[in-house]
Amino acid sequence: MSLKSLDPRVGRLHISEQEGNLETPKGVLDQFETYEAFVQVKEGKSLDHVGPVHAPNEEMAFLFAKEQFTRRGSFCNALCIVKTENILMSEYSDNKISVYDAVVTNPTGIITEEFEIFHLFKRGKQHRYIGTVNALNFDDALANSKVFYPSEKPVYNVWVVNSKDILTSDDDDRDIWDTLKEKQYREAIDYKGQDLIKAYKEKIAQD
Amino acid sequence: MNTEAIKDLLYKIADDQLILGHKNSEWTGFGPLLEEDIAFSSMAQDKVGQSWQFYKILNELGETDPDTLAFMRNAEQFHNCQLVELPNGEYDFSLIRHFLFDTAELIRFSMLSESSFEPIALLSKKIKGEVKYHTMHANIWIKQLGSATSESISRLQASLDYAIPFALGIFEPSKFEEELKQEGIFEGEAVLKATWLGQIEGIIDQTALKMPSLDQSHLGLGGRYGTHTDHLQPLLDEMSEVFKVDPTADW
Amino acid sequence: MYGGGNVFESMKATALADEDPIKLAEFEARIDRGEKIEPKDWMPQLYRKQLVRMIEQHAHSEIIGALPEGTWITRAPGFKRKLALMAKVQDEVGHGQLLYSAAETLGKSREQMLDDLVSGKSKYSNIFNYPAFTWADSCFISWLVDAGAIVNQVANSKGSYGPYCRALERICAEEAFHLKYGHHCVIHLATGTKIQQKMMQEAVTRWWPPMMHFFGPSDKISVHSEILMKWKVKMASNDECRQQFLDMYVPKIWELGLELPDDKLRKNPETGQWEFTEPDWEEFKRVINGDGPCNKERLAVRRIAEERGRWVRKALLAPNAKYVAPLA
Repeated sequence: MSLKSLDPRVGRLHISEQEGNLETPKGVLDQFETYEAFVQVKEGKSLDHVGPVHAPNEEMAFLFAKEQFTRRGSFCNALCIVKTENILMSEYSDNKISVYDAVVTNPTGIITEEFEIFHLFKRGKQHRYIGTVNALNFDDALANSKVFYPSEKPVYNVWVVNSKDILTSDDDDRDIWDTLKEKQYREAIDYKGQDLIKAYKEKIAQD
Repeated sequence: MNTEAIKDLLYKIADDQLILGHKNSEWTGFGPLLEEDIAFSSMAQDKVGQSWQFYKILNELGETDPDTLAFMRNAEQFHNCQLVELPNGEYDFSLIRHFLFDTAELIRFSMLSESSFEPIALLSKKIKGEVKYHTMHANIWIKQLGSATSESISRLQASLDYAIPFALGIFEPSKFEEELKQEGIFEGEAVLKATWLGQIEGIIDQTALKMPSLDQSHLGLGGRYGTHTDHLQPLLDEMSEVFKVDPTADW
Repeated sequence: MYGGGNVFESMKATALADEDPIKLAEFEARIDRGEKIEPKDWMPQLYRKQLVRMIEQHAHSEIIGALPEGTWITRAPGFKRKLALMAKVQDEVGHGQLLYSAAETLGKSREQMLDDLVSGKSKYSNIFNYPAFTWADSCFISWLVDAGAIVNQVANSKGSYGPYCRALERICAEEAFHLKYGHHCVIHLATGTKIQQKMMQEAVTRWWPPMMHFFGPSDKISVHSEILMKWKVKMASNDECRQQFLDMYVPKIWELGLELPDDKLRKNPETGQWEFTEPDWEEFKRVINGDGPCNKERLAVRRIAEERGRWVRKALLAPNAKYVAPLA
């Protein structure tokens, strides 16, 4: 006997009572690893962290992030993906104290790796891309970043990513976002009902 | 310009997009992973949205309004290929169909971007980018699942074997192939099919899957001129169930 | 979509006494300053537990919430409604994704959360255990259930936990579309043909009692909820949310000529408070504990979706994969 539903799609799933009652616990990593996504909405605007996706690999993470984080708006200029594991994170500071106050070493001057730096300027907001540093390792990257990207506002957290660990959308693929501004049906502005309400009230008043 | 030829072309494109978009929307909330559910839903919306734009051009050419075209015709009046009206099956079939159909669609829109009929050329240029994402998505999925486990490979193979004859129905020649070609409106299904085959095989070669033979029976043909499977009429009845409560009402 | 009315963990009398008093003081000072708490911060066990439960329930509500409206996704009348409903139901799944990710930062895996949903261990908003009989039912949900959820979400978006706030900011932005779309649909039905009006009125009559349950029973002020309010985990009482909802939406429902099945429903001109027939909280309890019209179906559908997708996930999992929780 299959599950009957008001939803014809559910009817087509042909869910037997037995199947519908079966609970099979998920194994570890059934939902894969996570990747953090960053979006630059428009040329000239900042590249900001938008959130994580669960994905089996980088390619899939890109496909997923594109729809989860850039299916709205008018433009998207670039989308970047980093496996969460590859994001090195500083401590958090708070109360107008910058995390850089605790960075006391000087840059080593040894330029073996290239790192990308992200700053959190307010707890509760998203990390923002700041720029590249050439450094020896994570600690050296922070030391470099303190010197090369000084900030008047306190920085509450820093993410450091080795440049080779970032997947960035191809410039040639920007056309996948071409029709974004056409999708008005997803925007509140496309739904204006006041005229109908007004007409209805007038009709009621007349009757 | 040969308006009948153009309408013939527009109807089959619009109907294909509408029916496949409609089928794919059935996966929303039921997908194998939340993120993929979201991605597949976006692509379904893209297709329905595209069909709407093509019906609008038909409307400008004298056909009735898009809602009426979509919600009031019966199966024998539809020009979609049979491939798109088949049941979703499990995710293997839906992915294979997505791969076969969207590969053809990107090529079709690339060809139509050069059309001498300006409305089609403009629309095709506009939507090419979003369809590119669809093929990106399909290719990545087929390449990965098609090389993964014995289960994923055998499932995909079975779906591919089943779908290919129906996929060939995408390229059924139109009554107006010559006119469309001569007027520079569309280079034709034969060119499309040849390009499609090359691309499909190119992806399949990168997996453990095997291309089924193409000399099949005529299973899968006939959709372009109203011969459909038993699946289409119930689909249309369901799709138009609320609309038909009152087709003149404003919903 | 989510209505609160969730069940908070009962607190052990000594729970806070076990916490480091200095760290606790710093933690509370940060919240009092209006600064958000981020995942790597020290936090009391109770804070972590309550938040995981709350965010998780919210996530489940989104995923399950996609199902009643999804009932009509293949039958939406006309292109405009079809596209909008497809986008809206997709958004609910999207919101679920955002919220599970926020909950994960507190240490519970998505696998565990999904298991707890399909086993019935974790709860979700009760209103989704009711059936969407007609197109008009889906319109009611799109407008008014979303409206209720927005009241709750806007309140919670001012809460103290960073990841939850970030998720809610994205969600609230998308809800603007949901609300407008839902209202637009109801306006068309209520001011449309006789058949449309009848369909809408019947849906309203059907859904009003579950809607009155939506924000949960009156919460008694206890030491417990006081601490949660101090920590900006609970942002508004159930009663406050319900009053806000009634104040914003009953006039809008009435202006469309729709009747609500409650003779007592009125705004008291002196107190400014809405009066209504006390909802049947016994029914609420029955339904949330499994005995509603659609509970079985909702969970069965989720189980099937997970089960039938298992081969896909298994096939894609890399052998050397290693889980790391989202950072923010």
